Amino acid sequence: MVSKDELRHLGWISRINLSEEEIETFHHQLGDTIKYIDVLETFDSENLTLDYLEVEFSNLREDKTIEFTRDLIPKSSLAQEGYVKGPKMI
Amino acid sequence: MSNLYDLGALEAHRGINQGDFTAEEYVWSIIERIERVEGKVHAFITLNKENALNDAREIDKKIRTKEDAGSLAGVTVGIKDNISTHGLKTTCASKMLENYVPPYDATVVERLKNHGAIVIGKLNLDEFGMGSTTEYSRYGPTHNPWNLDYVPGGSSGGSGAAVSSRECAISLGSDTGGSVRCPASFCSVVGLKPTYGSVSRFGLISYANSLEQIGPICRTVEDVVTVMNAISGHDPNDNTCFLLRSNVPYLHIKKDTAPSSIAIVKELIDGCDPAVSRTIYSALDKFKEFGWESTEISLKSVNYALPSYYTIAMAEASSNLARYDNIRYGFSLPVEGFEWNTYISNVRSNFGEEVKRRILIGSYVLSSGYYSKYYLKARQLRSLLRQELLSNFGKYDLLVGPTMPVLPFRIGEKIDDPLKMYLMDVDTVLANLAGIPAISIPAGHSNGLPIGLQLMAGPFQEQKLIDAASLLENAIDIARSPEI
Amino acid sequence: MGNILIGLEIHCQLTSLKSKLFCFCHEDYRSFKPNSNICPICCGFPGTLPLLNQKAVEHAAMISNALGSKIPEKIMFYRKNYFYPDLPKNFQITQYNSYGLTSIGSAGSVCISDSKTIRIRRVQLEEDPGRLSYDSGNIHNSNHTLIDYNRSGVALVEIVTEPDFTEPKEVRYFLNKLSSILEHLGVCDTALEGAVRCDANVSLKGGERIEIKNVNSFREVEKALTYEISRQTSLSTRNIRINSETRHWDEQRKITRIARTKEEEQDYRYFPEPDIPLVMLGKDFYTHIEKLVPELPDERLSRFKSKYTLSDHVANILINSKKLADFFESCLKIYYSPVEIANWLVNDLLALIGGEETVILDKLKIEPKHMAELAKLVDEKKISRSNAKQIFTEVFRTGQTPSELLSSTDYSQINDENLIANAVDLVFSSEKSAVEDAKVNSGAINFLVGKVMKMTKGRADPKIVTQLINVKLAQLGNS
Ligand SMILES: [Zn+2]
Repeated sequence: MVSKDELRHLGWISRINLSEEEIETFHHQLGDTIKYIDVLETFDSENLTLDYLEVEFSNLREDKTIEFTRDLIPKSSLAQEGYVKGPKMI
Repeated sequence: MSNLYDLGALEAHRGINQGDFTAEEYVWSIIERIERVEGKVHAFITLNKENALNDAREIDKKIRTKEDAGSLAGVTVGIKDNISTHGLKTTCASKMLENYVPPYDATVVERLKNHGAIVIGKLNLDEFGMGSTTEYSRYGPTHNPWNLDYVPGGSSGGSGAAVSSRECAISLGSDTGGSVRCPASFCSVVGLKPTYGSVSRFGLISYANSLEQIGPICRTVEDVVTVMNAISGHDPNDNTCFLLRSNVPYLHIKKDTAPSSIAIVKELIDGCDPAVSRTIYSALDKFKEFGWESTEISLKSVNYALPSYYTIAMAEASSNLARYDNIRYGFSLPVEGFEWNTYISNVRSNFGEEVKRRILIGSYVLSSGYYSKYYLKARQLRSLLRQELLSNFGKYDLLVGPTMPVLPFRIGEKIDDPLKMYLMDVDTVLANLAGIPAISIPAGHSNGLPIGLQLMAGPFQEQKLIDAASLLENAIDIARSPEI
Repeated sequence: MGNILIGLEIHCQLTSLKSKLFCFCHEDYRSFKPNSNICPICCGFPGTLPLLNQKAVEHAAMISNALGSKIPEKIMFYRKNYFYPDLPKNFQITQYNSYGLTSIGSAGSVCISDSKTIRIRRVQLEEDPGRLSYDSGNIHNSNHTLIDYNRSGVALVEIVTEPDFTEPKEVRYFLNKLSSILEHLGVCDTALEGAVRCDANVSLKGGERIEIKNVNSFREVEKALTYEISRQTSLSTRNIRINSETRHWDEQRKITRIARTKEEEQDYRYFPEPDIPLVMLGKDFYTHIEKLVPELPDERLSRFKSKYTLSDHVANILINSKKLADFFESCLKIYYSPVEIANWLVNDLLALIGGEETVILDKLKIEPKHMAELAKLVDEKKISRSNAKQIFTEVFRTGQTPSELLSSTDYSQINDENLIANAVDLVFSSEKSAVEDAKVNSGAINFLVGKVMKMTKGRADPKIVTQLINVKLAQLGNS
């Protein structure tokens, strides 16, 4: 179960504004889902291993440069001198 | 069928190559078809009409001058709108990317183009691939061509519906937990999720990186083979696509296939809709007629597959989707006057509700103190599941069951119950968790609604899937495309 | 200042790489106009995947090896999730050891003196964020933030020490040694702006931990720590509680200030980066790296002391700067006189440059061949030491060779006792009162020696001058 306050906190760490209405519905829906995945706890984790994809060191990318020459960031997002414009910090 | 738009990829390609008709004529036929049915089906988000016609003229020029125009020359392909297309809007069916025009082509798109395929448009999906019905699209739902009031499956619903309604010859989807196979099943077409690492993900806009692969949706097994041979194989732009450096399995359709051993997964067939299980059992009888051995087995891992899957998928999603802050790309909302956190929390509230739910749960399961309880446990169980499946592939060539436990349902029917929606993925997530290939092939209809059969094989055993799917395709004649 | 614990977190860019950590853009971003050293990967565009740079792993492993750290057989990358405008993906790809030791290094140690060792907790490879600036030049009254992604994705090695330092001086020793190690490895040019950065945490015994961020050069770290310790000490003597907080070093005003933006307790939600498989370094990797690691400062120091018979003090100063040590050894190849040359470099050259920390030898006019030639002239007594000093200053200033300077001005030493005796006679007749002084006060002899040297333009052999003056004084005393 997640409380509404927990849900607001999750909204904050995910940087998503949640309306009161959303908190109301998500509170139930997320609660159901989390209750469902809580079943993971019932499986014994002893002797469980983890496997990962592997890549050999020798197959890693060679250190070389290739310049990206196409336009990347739309003009509308740019401020003076080619800086990207972001919101203010304070 | 006598229209050019009816043609499968190989038929269209042959016709163009032999000069029976031009690529331009063929593309015009597809465009007219789209104009006629798209209003009902709504498979596309963006059409690429002018460019497609130009590309067709280029192909025709090559053919006239006897240049090699490629193994898919002239073939129309629809691309799921979470796969990057250079210069062509790629929205992920999200407000967050409504104006986003990628500065590069995904590897699969580049490879299809190199083989002469023509991108006809971008196909609808559940926002960022999160869903099983294509109802969670910012641009409205896609309708199932077999019954327009019904969902086409998802998340690659546009890819399934467009191929089934003959709005393109072939399409690409992406499959994170069944997103290629589910719409293939619901739309009565063929969909393949390849082995993890056999098709490059470069350019696929990530939802859950460790689970997803791009796969083809086509009307015939033969076309699936052609697309796979064009798109699979090592890509230096994807560190997780190293596995096949030298030995990309070249797929082909065999005239005669030696009988194999198949195992029916009890847990997958037990809980499903009776109409679905009846259809699956009768399809299995066909295999037996050809001398295939079939056994019923039990897979313990089915019990924890779904919770593991959703834990991993949502965790990865919460991180993957953090980049959508509307600073470098996105929709129009000036930054002036906003403080950073206020701005991004505002813009990010424009995600759809399903995406929000998954991000929130993903953040939850990764939070400090919960990592071992959820994410780590899910990863461990995933490894266990993979071991169980692999050990079965030591005994049987293929595992079989329904693709979806239910028949297609009405649009809006399940949208208010996300958990119920998640539970429908029970059959498909196994292949994503284990990284193995799986195919959905039409097995029958019930009350006019399609039913798909799913086959799974060991890693890089796509040929076994093709052999079995091809056999079934020849044995039971099931319509791939309805009248609309 | 007892009972202080200091730990460091140091970031160094792998400046000798060609490309960034995960893409093909230039690692050396400094010469580019804003946002002109970027691509879809380092700007976090949808659908892009990180492509790990092989050389970056190699260079990070060299650092790890040089810091005596353990290199695992497999390394992993993790995502550190937090929202910040300099971070295009809103997560940073880094390494993390909480779920198993998978960073490129762990459990190392560095000796900073015979009796003091600093433990290295971990060495990890990660990506640098972009850079922020403000339209009004100031974070507080700007209407927006200006973002430059040129630095985004540059390969960075983070070195974390245990809180083993007990005074700021030790931190300086450590950072000097680290700089020299990095220089010797050739993986990081610490002289480049922003190539090395340091965060420190300080706590007085029993007090809360204070983080000091934003120290953008090694030189400033000691100052920041000294300031912070006296601030904390003065608070605690007045019984004012010290709260755990993050402070920034204000380089202009030389004070630490509490960070204005209150940093909440961050939950980084680390998890393994799904787009980078486990990197199998393999069993041969360690020997491969050992081969790549050249002679390091510690070995070089003992070699300098044993082979060249240099004092600990002189050898240490040379070793602290690889360029100076290299300069020294280049001189020796031309003319072998280690103690003589070492003294010239440590005393005269550094005095002219102005401190050991700013040694930028490749920009100097004086070359090893000049130094060697000068040492030879001194050894062969062709010029006096005081003239040699004049010549040295000229060479440093103009880049002319000592022999050129020698032929244009007469610096050759006068060894002829008759000539020198004449000069001594002249001085004795003009400096009568000094001579009287010198009869009773041996200290005044130096004054007379100086006068004779001046008269001969420094060319007289000072030993002979002193000898003759003593003889003459003795004669006067006897008469
Ligand atoms: Zn880049």
